[in-house]
Amino acid sequence: MFKKLIKNSRMKSPWLLHFDCGSCNGCDIEVLACLTPVYDVERFGIINVGNPMHADLFLVTGTVNSRNSMVLRNLYDQMPNPKVVVAIGSCGLSGGIFREAYNVVGGVDKIIPVDVYVPGCPAKPEAIIDGVVAGLQKYGRIVN
Amino acid sequence: MEKLTFILIVLPFLSAIFCYITPYRKLRSSIVMATAFLLIMSSLMLIRITPFSFSPITVIGADIHHIVLILDFLILFLIFYFGIKHHNLLIIIFAILQIVLLGYLEYFMIKEQTVSPIFYCDYLSLIMILIISIVGSIICIQSIPYMKNHEEHLELRISREPRFFGVMLLFLGAMNGLVLSNDLLFLYFFFEITTLCSFLLIGHDNTERTIRNAVRALWMNSLGGALFIIALVILNSQIGALDMQKIIHTPKAGLWFLPIALLCFAAFTKSAQFPFQSWLLGAMVAPTPVSALLHSSTMVKIGVYLVLRLGPAIQGTFLTHCVAIFGAFTFLAAAALAVGQSNGKKVLAYSTISNLGLIFACAGINSSAAITAGILLIIFHAITKALLFLCVGVIEQHIESRDIEDMRGLYSKMPVTALITVIGVITMIMPPFGLLLGKWMAIEAASRNIFVIIILALGSALTVMYWARWAGILMSDPFAGKFKTEKQPILTWVSLVSLCLGATLLSMISPWLYSRMIIPTFNEKYLQSYTVTRGILENPSGSFAVIPLSILALIGFIVSVLAVRKALRARVVPPYLSGVQLSEPGTFLGPMNQPVKAEAKNYYLSSIFGEQRLTIWVNLAATVLITMLIGGAL
Amino acid sequence: MSMSMQILLVALGVVAGPLIGGLIGGLDRIITARFQSRVGPPILQPFYDVNKLLAKEYIVVNAWQAFCAYSYLAASMISVALFFLQSDMLVIYFVQAVGAIFLVVGALSSTSPYSQVGAHRELLQMLAYEPLLVLVIIGIYIETGSFKISAVYSWDKPLLLKLPFLFVALGFALTIKLRKSPFDLSTSHHAHQELVKGVTTDYSGPFLGLIEIAHWYDVALFLCFCSLFWATNIAGMIILISITYFLEILIDNVSARMTWRWMLGNVWAIGLTLSLVNLIWLYQR
Repeated sequence: MFKKLIKNSRMKSPWLLHFDCGSCNGCDIEVLACLTPVYDVERFGIINVGNPMHADLFLVTGTVNSRNSMVLRNLYDQMPNPKVVVAIGSCGLSGGIFREAYNVVGGVDKIIPVDVYVPGCPAKPEAIIDGVVAGLQKYGRIVN
Repeated sequence: MEKLTFILIVLPFLSAIFCYITPYRKLRSSIVMATAFLLIMSSLMLIRITPFSFSPITVIGADIHHIVLILDFLILFLIFYFGIKHHNLLIIIFAILQIVLLGYLEYFMIKEQTVSPIFYCDYLSLIMILIISIVGSIICIQSIPYMKNHEEHLELRISREPRFFGVMLLFLGAMNGLVLSNDLLFLYFFFEITTLCSFLLIGHDNTERTIRNAVRALWMNSLGGALFIIALVILNSQIGALDMQKIIHTPKAGLWFLPIALLCFAAFTKSAQFPFQSWLLGAMVAPTPVSALLHSSTMVKIGVYLVLRLGPAIQGTFLTHCVAIFGAFTFLAAAALAVGQSNGKKVLAYSTISNLGLIFACAGINSSAAITAGILLIIFHAITKALLFLCVGVIEQHIESRDIEDMRGLYSKMPVTALITVIGVITMIMPPFGLLLGKWMAIEAASRNIFVIIILALGSALTVMYWARWAGILMSDPFAGKFKTEKQPILTWVSLVSLCLGATLLSMISPWLYSRMIIPTFNEKYLQSYTVTRGILENPSGSFAVIPLSILALIGFIVSVLAVRKALRARVVPPYLSGVQLSEPGTFLGPMNQPVKAEAKNYYLSSIFGEQRLTIWVNLAATVLITMLIGGAL
Repeated sequence: MSMSMQILLVALGVVAGPLIGGLIGGLDRIITARFQSRVGPPILQPFYDVNKLLAKEYIVVNAWQAFCAYSYLAASMISVALFFLQSDMLVIYFVQAVGAIFLVVGALSSTSPYSQVGAHRELLQMLAYEPLLVLVIIGIYIETGSFKISAVYSWDKPLLLKLPFLFVALGFALTIKLRKSPFDLSTSHHAHQELVKGVTTDYSGPFLGLIEIAHWYDVALFLCFCSLFWATNIAGMIILISITYFLEILIDNVSARMTWRWMLGNVWAIGLTLSLVNLIWLYQR
């Protein structure tokens, strides 16, 4: 019975950490647009906490480059389990159009395990919300 | 009772002489420990025979009045000599004034020795004796390893320890004598001994800085002594006897108020209230046991003891209102100055001045609840402040700094001492411990006096600020894993742990303390303020459930400690540094790929609460208040 | 009061405190959202948040944080229980202050500058509101003649009529305690960050959940203090608290975060002056 209560609470209260890992800010603007009154994700209990230690969802945009891969790893490690990583935009998936640049590592999943991929360049807010909801389903299925 | 009084007063004098002439450290330490033990035992045995009074005729075979008189003049001439040696005009003036007035008083004014009884011990004296003997002895015990370390550190070839321990023991005897004295001349004699001891101990290290501060302490305390003797002369001419109990009970007529006001003024200088606080701050250059014993637990309590004694005499007068406002003002101003300090011993010094101001305010408000608050504050402040000073002394010897910023994360270097210091700070500011009980009682007692209460509210908020930041800083180093204890001499552990236990456990028995020891100190003029039922202090307008809150606090403590044990097995993450933290704790990747250490410092708010900024205004305001006090008495 | 009555009241306080605090927190978020033309979360959202936090992995920066989080919760719980026992207001104030001090000490135990500066700002916030709270309690004492809450409930006239300025001073303390702009310096709820999360930056998971519950107890306690100002009539009490809380949300949404100097200067200047005027008025009677 407790497990059901916890699963329910987790799905209804996902706090997210948004990290721009070398993005052109296109996807970032779309992520932040989700928080505005137009899309209002606080209806789902989602809050943008800027602190990995408080967060459950990790939204990463942008390609990963050699300098901020350390930051990505650090932030991921500072988040308490259970956590869900959502990679947003084609840069986050595989490096996007910048894939062959000299400094680009290419794709978030080269550094940390990713649970949900949201394609698009930039990804639309509806797609991002869809991706987050899919992540929540996965989150709810995690047994602690 | 004569035997106990002898042990309490004369034995320390004899031990002091022995310590001074003994060159062997182990023998000296045993004498100190034996004296400490005897003092503790006799003070505890005194509980059963209180109240009592008696007048001894002789001590060690000689007439007691002659001995006291000769020694008194000796001390005054010594002070005069020190004034000349250190070229300080004020000391010379005050010493000469006191010699002249004492001679005048003795040979021209007093026709026969009619003060009886000479020694009078009621419960207030008993409480003071318990504090002096028990807390004082513990401090002396701790000073044995402290001074050993101190001298090794200074690489002294000829030990100055005989002088140190001699004066410390002499001081303990003098304090005991002072609180037992009913004859004001005896009180004055012991008062002067404490002045001299303070001078000798502050200047112990014999450097230019310590001598300068010792001289400053000497002139300010001599000012107190001079005011005292002037008051005695006026009292003798008005009442004809220098008997404390008689003075309190005579009807007020003529110039009666002026000497009482002068005695209050002398008390203010002794307790380092504004504008005379600089001697106490300067006295922090002395070795820390000196600061613990003289300048927080015992000597500075002489002033508040004196005003509490005079309390029944000045109840309801303008003078007592002045004392209340002055005390409250000192409480606030010293707390404000402590906020701007980062030197650990100076924070403790300002906190002492602040708490003494609060006790003066209680004595000034002069209702039974207020006086109860004052006595409780005296007891618990003495224990806790001694504990904190000893902790700071131990810390200072280990990390060679007394700045709070250097004590950041002390837990990693000295876990047990850091924890004891945190416990000390907690007993200073939190319920259900005794200091907070006293503060609660003081606020409730002061609530009819609009100025005092606003000042107390502000001061109490400032107090929390400077203590909480110190307690937090001590634990600032991230720890996980097994708990290790550091190595300290056994005597240090004994003193620190006994004071720590004393502070916490005594708070839990404070209702019993109140009913057994504090209620009997009141005479008929005061109504009983609180009833004690099942560990709850209650009266129609307020209640403080000491025992229930203590039990709840204990349960909360146990739960929290269990939580820590569970947290020690948790996953440790570095503190948040925007993701750029490196593996070395507290560093992050900075510009040019160089590691940078993240630093933070406390807010000292020196633009508002800085010592240089505030002291002038505070001294000015204090001078105005004292003038009002004396002027109102005329 | 008999022993069984006392135990019942304590149990009521311990259970009702977080319920009141949590529900009001949820209501707060919905009304704030409506001010901002949004829909807002469901009313039970704070409970989902705390549940989720309590079920997270145990991670610590410093094991001492566990002690501080539990002590904060214990102190806040005891202060609410004492309120329900109608005990001495000054004791309740001091017990509540214990919790606040432990929050600060726990935050100082992490070396992250965000935590450290947040902790000092929290201390400055406490410095700003504590004198006002003491003066409000003194004002109630002058009027009813006792520090005990039972005396307030047996007073036949609403206190607000005699202590209006002290109620405004209490409002200052309430705004600071609820962490509403312009006084949300040390940490603020949810998305309004300045020092990342200030005081609560390095707390996470279950300890953050405990701090949240302790915060609910504090909110319940302060709203109960406000309710004392119209203790004669339940309807009046509810109306007073509703209006007060609505004004708090309004002020939060229209003002920006200010600096600690502004806070200290203004809260002391205005708060102390209003308290002084009200106290003088009370003394004159």
